[in-house]
Amino acid sequence: MTSSPSARQIDDEAADWAARIDGRGLDAAHEPKLQAWLAGDPRRAGAFLRAQAAISLLDRGRALAGAEPAVPTPRAATRRALIVGIGGAGLAASVGTAMVWAARPQRLDTRLGEVRRVPLADGSLVAINTRTALEVILKPSSRQITLRRGEAWFQVAKDVHRPFVVAAGRVRVRAVGTAFSVRRRDGGADVMVTEGVVETWVDGEAGPRQRVAAGCKILLADAVAPIVAESPSEIERSLAWRNGEIALDGETLGEAASQFNRYNSRQILIDDPVLAQERFVGLFRTNEPESFAAAVVATIGARVSEDERTIRLSRDHLS
Amino acid sequence: MEQSRAEIVAWVGSQILPHEADVRAWLRRTGGAHFDIDDIVQETYCRLAALRGVDHIVNGRAYFFRTARNIAIERIRRARIVRIDCVTEIDALNVVDHEPSPERIVAGRRELARVQRLIEGLPERCREIFKLRRIHGLSQREVAQRLGVTENVVEMQAMRGLRLILRALSESQTPDHPLESVPGHDLVPVRKTDR
Repeated sequence: MTSSPSARQIDDEAADWAARIDGRGLDAAHEPKLQAWLAGDPRRAGAFLRAQAAISLLDRGRALAGAEPAVPTPRAATRRALIVGIGGAGLAASVGTAMVWAARPQRLDTRLGEVRRVPLADGSLVAINTRTALEVILKPSSRQITLRRGEAWFQVAKDVHRPFVVAAGRVRVRAVGTAFSVRRRDGGADVMVTEGVVETWVDGEAGPRQRVAAGCKILLADAVAPIVAESPSEIERSLAWRNGEIALDGETLGEAASQFNRYNSRQILIDDPVLAQERFVGLFRTNEPESFAAAVVATIGARVSEDERTIRLSRDHLS
Repeated sequence: MEQSRAEIVAWVGSQILPHEADVRAWLRRTGGAHFDIDDIVQETYCRLAALRGVDHIVNGRAYFFRTARNIAIERIRRARIVRIDCVTEIDALNVVDHEPSPERIVAGRRELARVQRLIEGLPERCREIFKLRRIHGLSQREVAQRLGVTENVVEMQAMRGLRLILRALSESQTPDHPLESVPGHDLVPVRKTDR
């Protein structure tokens, strides 16, 4: 499907043109050589627009940063360094915490099948999976999250002065600027790290705290647990729920059914144990067990019978 | 209705380009094996380049996803004999969240940091020139004078830097979407009998 020249080659040529037009202050419409290049391949117009847009995006950085001096004179540089110095030391921190400080717990719950993404006042982001109960307390010196039930993924805004600690039963996970998920289980919790490092421990237990790095998963029970390395793509796959998706990569139909059943009151039942052991690959909406059933019917030759409360899959004995 | 080229370029820079990595990650997740992602993204920009105005587009992110999706479906239809699993394939391409999510709001706040990161990621010479040119707003000639080099040298570095930045923009920096493709995330439900 890729024809020559490659998309990347076109992108590079487009970058050269955009940089030249911008650097020399030319008008693209009146540059015969550029126009000839554009006319040579219909894909070039898109690549050229993209390259010009990138320059405009970079210039937005200046607009967002506010009025920068046109030329960084030594004096201006000193002044800016001073402001940054104060800001870094305490000004930004104190103003920031004073504004966002809310000691009352914020409750974040989801119903069956609901997935929510909620930005927190400190700039962190929480994605909350189905049937979850969460409490957030932001204080000037700490950020405390209590996961009472269910599963959540956290993208933590970096703030070394306010540790971000998630409590799930007796399990504790501490992060500074990291992304990770916690899922409560009976007598423990699963922790998966997608970015950075977290520190985990079990409240009331002696023994060292365990550091878990990106791409790893730890199953913390009341006892000490081993750290399991997972591939990043495998972790991303287990977190497909953040986009309202279930990504199956060779799970058995039985496992797949229990995944869908976490999200829907309409339950998938697989009568036949042989059918339940079949393995399956595909990407689905969490709230569409019907599509999953239809795909199973189409590829495995199962039969489906549905009523209001259940989707029943059974083996098609003719196949 | 009709807008100037500069307005369209600025709109694409602020409303489309920042979402490119997400669109690519989504295409990769839904059907990376079934079409050429570079090709679809490029075609999306081509369609934007053909527009005479973008006033009618309310949500750039949603527009980007929708256009990429339509192109992907066209490609699938054109390239393959439609089989039963293509139906699922096309259905799966509907898996898009068009709504502006809270994550976008957070992302918006981080836009400045992102631009800075892009520039900081350049090789030293390029970076210096990009800072003077884009952050401090010097002209190419002023940059050349300041650094005591010819305008040609500045231009070459600007080209090199822009190439690198365009590449970086196509690669996701959010932890949501890692760089590596996710094998096995095909649209087509494949039957695996053993592993």
